[in-house]
This record gives sequence, structure tokens and C-alpha cells, in this order.
Amino acid sequence: MSDLWPRIEPLLASVERPARYIDREWGALHPIDPDYRVALVYPDAYELGMANQALSILYERLAAIPGVAPERAFVPWRDMAEQLRGNDVPLFTLESCTPVGEVDLLGITLPYEMTYSNILEILDLAGIPLRSDDRSDSDPLVFGGGPCAFNPEPVAPFFDAILIGDGEEAIAEIVATHRAGRAAGASRSAILAALAGVSGVYVPSMYDMTSGVAVGRDGAPDRVTKRVLADLDSVRPPVSPIVPFMDVVHDRMTIEVLRGCSRGCRFCQAGMVYRPVRERSSDNIVRDVLAGLWCSGHEEVSLTSLSTADHSQLEDILRRLSRRLEGSGISVSLPSLRVDAFSVDMARMLGGGRKTGLTFAPEAGTQRLRDVINKNVTEEQLLATVHKAFSAGWHRIKLYFMIGLPTETDEDVRGIGALVQKVLDTARESVEPAKRGGIRISVSVSTFVPKSHTPFQWDAQVTPEEVRRRQEVLRGSMPKRGVDLSWHASGVSFLEGVFARGGRELADVIEHAWRAGARYDAWTEEFDLGRWISALEACGVDPSRIASRERDTGEPLPWGHIDVGLSVAYLRIERERAREAITTPDCTFDECTGCGVCPTLGVDVILGGGGRE
Amino acid sequence: MSNGMFRARITYPKAGRLRFLSHLEVTNACERAARRAGLPYAVTQGFNPKMKVGFGPALPVGTGSTCERFDLWLREYVPADEVLVRLQSASPSDLAPSEACYVALRAPALTVSLTIAGYDVETGESGSAEDLQGFLDAVVKTGELVVEHKGKQKVFELTSTLPKEPTVRSMNGRVVVDITTRMSERGSLRPEALVMAAFERSGTGGSVLSVTRTHLAEEEEAVRRLL
Ligand code: SF4
Repeated sequence: MSDLWPRIEPLLASVERPARYIDREWGALHPIDPDYRVALVYPDAYELGMANQALSILYERLAAIPGVAPERAFVPWRDMAEQLRGNDVPLFTLESCTPVGEVDLLGITLPYEMTYSNILEILDLAGIPLRSDDRSDSDPLVFGGGPCAFNPEPVAPFFDAILIGDGEEAIAEIVATHRAGRAAGASRSAILAALAGVSGVYVPSMYDMTSGVAVGRDGAPDRVTKRVLADLDSVRPPVSPIVPFMDVVHDRMTIEVLRGCSRGCRFCQAGMVYRPVRERSSDNIVRDVLAGLWCSGHEEVSLTSLSTADHSQLEDILRRLSRRLEGSGISVSLPSLRVDAFSVDMARMLGGGRKTGLTFAPEAGTQRLRDVINKNVTEEQLLATVHKAFSAGWHRIKLYFMIGLPTETDEDVRGIGALVQKVLDTARESVEPAKRGGIRISVSVSTFVPKSHTPFQWDAQVTPEEVRRRQEVLRGSMPKRGVDLSWHASGVSFLEGVFARGGRELADVIEHAWRAGARYDAWTEEFDLGRWISALEACGVDPSRIASRERDTGEPLPWGHIDVGLSVAYLRIERERAREAITTPDCTFDECTGCGVCPTLGVDVILGGGGRE
Repeated sequence: MSNGMFRARITYPKAGRLRFLSHLEVTNACERAARRAGLPYAVTQGFNPKMKVGFGPALPVGTGSTCERFDLWLREYVPADEVLVRLQSASPSDLAPSEACYVALRAPALTVSLTIAGYDVETGESGSAEDLQGFLDAVVKTGELVVEHKGKQKVFELTSTLPKEPTVRSMNGRVVVDITTRMSERGSLRPEALVMAAFERSGTGGSVLSVTRTHLAEEEEAVRRLL
């Protein structure tokens, strides 16, 4: 293996933030003489990728396999990419500075749609042919996986294989299948065929998509069922993760406390595709948090999941942790809190005793619309929570909303402003007059993008023009003082919507846009909608047919062959109930609501205190 | 007695690849190493409790060192050699401390007391050391150096900035310049700027391969030892 460091080092004097490229962080692994190298690549900058928990889990799982060296790579920033190309240096792994094109397995995460152009940047900088069809036996096996794998088609031709679902157990099977194939001298296509037999693995080149419905060839299953880790406690979370030097996003220790969420918010893809709820036990969480802090030296730990405040043992966990961490200056944080079960006692145990900002997500401005999306939060609960928090000394709160939800009217949009006004009034009434000036409400309003595998997967996304009009209505409805309002650019949401529900025809578009210079599209200052519109036109793809069109529920969908365990009947019923503004309870605490996941995947809900209540 | 009964002073390098770290990245890494080392570090009082530490003068990205320092306040006494061993085993090797000792609780902050810094500037030239010495002397004789940084001009008055004449030596076929500077609130002269000015004067140009801080000293100590 070539060590590129001597050629990389001279480039670092002239690039921004060289810490992105130097490795040697605490916890980075450098096994001696591995016979199988894996490059785990996050399709964005180092400081974003290092916050990704899936990468850290896979890194650890791979390191446990004898002879395997997991290594990392990220997308070099534009200045570094220019230096690499200008000096003929290929993309390299951080740990051993091996050219990415020389590793055995290249795993690229699919975290959000706006990173798609960066996938091509990675492959190109690595000198690997962009399309699976053009690769030879000497190229690494290019694997994908992550949240966007649930509609893999827009990027399918760039990957040799894509893992659908949880990777903890699948990763070892993938490596073993690849190694066995190579040991037997099997061809690339024979190895891919063998991988198609690994549960959860989708090999795009083995599917014929011409009829609009995927048909598997040579024994590939017509439907690929997602992998699911039945019991989170069976795999310990990484407690000795890599500790970055650089100030990365979410620069703290993280311990995943549960996976899945079955509150059943109808807009939420994660809530649908990561079912069922599987909690880690409180003993394991406390043990791993303390071990993780000890090994990493971090000053903060976050208990992560889609909905941490729902962990059935959370209070007990926080109490035990605050006792153990007292006087250490180390704080515990949660991604967000529950509107309907906010407790001051609990909030005090967070942020190391500091009154850090509280975050809540009512999502919609009127009760009707909250019922449509199944966000079971009432105005009374929100105001009661605000009153409790501000009376107890908090003076900042952050609220998340969405516009463009199905059935939304201007009244719903204005309802956001009205609700924020009530929150502000309640907050003011809850503090002494002298402190009223210090109250700040941050309101972040994103644009709803219908996603695959949700009850809204058939719905039309609101057009960019209409989004802009509604944003104006929203702005007009907001209180003039005490509120910081932010929203998403309509162009980005539109393109996200195109990728979220488009098919394989988008691969040409992505390649076209990348050739025209698209990189780092998730970064506002780098995103250029015009470039994407030209690419869509050049490839003859009408984006509004993908994003802005309501589909018949019988229409074949590009992700029809990806089976996450949800029954289509359930999604249809949920869509009907949405139309009638009827809510559906959470199956974690109430009874099963029949989504189909548990029986299809042979798993069950697991609560940290043992059994379902 | 306030929180923080003991004040340990740690000397550590910034070597190898880690010279590409920024000052903030280095200070974070040292604090994390102290936590991993399981030392009974003291925490600041107040709203936002943090580890009680104090660092010496910042090094720029790209500049290495053999002699950085930080102070770490401890709640309990731990023998200095144990502090050292524990920190070493919890640090990336290119930042692993080389010395630990205790200093008076009321000693001035490192940023205040350490005003003299010595550097080795390794050049990429094979030209003669004598020639470069001549050009350096000529620059020093002008009495001031104008340095441009991020579009702003800064004028360094050289008699006070350079407590000692820069000297050039040959080492393993490389020409290395030894420069000692005095740091002040108005800023610190980057030693490579002086070398580049000498190259400019020579008319042939030249490049700097690496810059390493080799001494950090207090004013009086420097007067005694260096001069
Ligand atoms: S099958 Fe029932 S219990 Fe399992 S996730 Fe779906 S609704 Fe919940």
C-alpha cells in the first residue's frame, strides 16, 4: 500500500483548517499489517462527518474483525480538492494515507440528499469509475448505506451495493462474503451476486427497472428487506470513539439510548423506517456514558436518539448520571425535550446546571393540522411547559415548525405566528417585569418534504413559489419583537423533494450537475439551484412531476422494492386518517397499531425497564 | 481556600503532524487529556463551570514546538511524576508532556510571564549560511520590519522585538536560523517573516520548510541565560 503522507504534507500549508486531513486523533486506530482495508467515507466535510454516529459504530465493528483496518476519509474542502487534483494526489484515507482507490471496501454514508454531488466528488478524487458498470476487479467494492438508502434509486448506479437498515451485524457478513469470494477467485459480478444474498443488501445492477417496477435478476430477491438490530443491548455503543482535535459539530460524547420512535408523526420518515422502538437498559446506558467520558475526555455527553425524552427510564438515568458527574464540570444534554411531559427537575439535570436553551417541536400552528400530522401536542401543554420553564428561570426557548404540510391553509400558517405570540405572552407573564426584555424565542420553520415510506409519500410537495408566498404569510403573522425567525430556502427543499422521491433517472442529473461544478450542496453558500435546473433540463427530467405531483396510491413507486416492514395498507389508512384529522396512538405505550414492522421483521418493542408497559 | 489548591505546570511539545493544529485545538486536546488522565482537576466557580487551566502564548497553525506550557489546577495533590505519567498515557504522542512540576498558586499567568520565545526556522535552501547571515544582519540593521497579515500592515521595531541577534547555522545540509523574539501585547513577530525578508533582500528568494519553537522564557530568566 502506498503511504501518501509525504505528498500530502506539503499541501497543508496552503489550505484552510489542515486539522481535517492529519489523523492522529485520540482513538484513531492503526492496526499493523491488515489484509483488508475499509475506507468509511462521509460525503461532507470532516467537521460534519465526525459527528456521525453510524460511522463511529461501523468503525468499531470493523476493527473487531481480525485482519481488517477501518479507516476514514471525508470530502476535502474545495481548496484541498484543488491542491489534490493540481498535484495529482488521489483521495486518501486518514489513518494510513492509502489511496482510497486501493482499499478493499469503500463505504459511503447516505446521510441527506444534498450530499449526492459529493459522492461523485469522492469517487472522482479517488480515481474510481463513477458507475458500478464501469468498474473492474481492481476497484474497491463501493457500498452505500444510511438514511437515504430507503429510496436508493437516484444514486443506485454509483454503488455496487447498498445496505438497507441497521449495519451493526450486516457489516461483518458483507466483509466475510467479499473476502470469501475473493479467496475463491470469484469475479466481481459473482461477488455481487453473493452479496445480493446477504439479508438487507441491495445490488442495483441486478435489477431491471424498465417497467417502473424492480425485477431482480439471477436470484436477486424482488424485494430487499431492511436489516434490523433486534436488541440494542446486544451491541455495546462505541465508548472509545475518535476524539477530534477540530471543533466539529456536536463535539461531545454521544451514547445512543434507544432506536426507533413510534409516536407515528406522519411526516417523519425516520419514525416510520426505524421501527420498532428498542431501548437500551438504564444500567447499560449509565455504564457506557461513564466509560465513554473516561475514554474520550469529553466535557459533554449527549443521550441521543430520535426521541430521547421518550426513554421509559430517562429520569432514573439522568438522576444517576448527575450524581456521578457532580463537580466534574461535565454536562449531559438531550437533543430535544417533550412538550407534554416537561419537568423542571429533569431539565435542571441537563446542561450541567446551566439554563441552556430548551428545544420543543410543535411542528404545526393549529390543532387541526397537528392532528393531521399526528403530532400529539396541544397548545395547553405547550403553554403550560413554557410557563413552568420561564418561572423556573429559563429565558430562551427554541421552537420548530414546518410549513407546506398536506391540507395546510393560510390559517394554519398564521396559526404559527399566533401560537408563537401566545408563547411569548406566557413567557413574559411568567418572569419578573425587569427580566422581560431578556426573553428570546427562536422559531425555526422548515419546509415539509414528502418522503418515501410515510403516509404522505403519495402527496404533492408545495411548489417553491407557493412556499415563498407562505413564508411571507408566516413572516407577517410573527410577533415583531422577541422572536428570531429562520426558515429554509425554498430551492433547496424543492431539490431535496426531487431526490427524495425520484428514481434512477436522477443519476444522470447528479452526474451532470457535478460535472458542472456542484459540490457541497448542503452548504448554503455553495448551493446553486440554477446549476441543478440546467442539469435537469439537459437530462430531460421534469422535477415537478417528481416533487409537485400527487400520486395515486396504486402507482408503482421507485422505492417499491425496498421493504422496511411497513404494510402499504397501514400507510394508506394513516393517510386517510390524516385527511380526517384523526390521530393514532404510540404503540410503544399503547397497543400495537398494526404497522406491520414487528411481524414482518420478526422483532418486538423493547423497553429499558423490561417489557412493554 | 478557593477551589484549586495545587497548580501543576506541564511542558509539552507540538510535534509531527500535530503542528498543523490551531491554538484552540491544542488547548482542547490538552484539557481532554487531563480528563482522560483521571486527574483531580479543579473546576472554575460560577455559571459555567470549566476545568481550571491556563495556557502559554499561542502558536500559529503550522508552527511546531518542543517547549509549550500549561498550568493545571488540582483539587488534590498528586506527585508531579505521577501527573506526568498519567498525562503521557492519555495524550496523543505528538502532544505528550515531557515535564510536570508544581508552581506557586499566586505565580503570574503564563501568558503574562512568558515574553521571550526562541525558534528554529529551517529553510529549504542549500545556499551558504554565511550569505543568509549577512542578509539577516542587513534586515536587522534597518531597525524595523513591516509584516503584512490578512491585508493589514504591522510594523515591528526590531531592537525591542529581537533581544538577541538571529544566527544562522548549517545542520545536516540544511540552513537553520535561530531567532529569539520578545512578545508583547501589540503582537508577536512570526520568525519566518524575518527570514523571508532576508531572502527578499538577497534577491534570489527562498522558502521556509518548518518553524519550531525551542524556548519559552520569562524576561529576567532570558536576560540572565540567553543574552
Ligand atoms: S408492528 Fe405494532 S408494535 Fe410493532 S412497531 Fe408496528 S405498530 Fe408498533
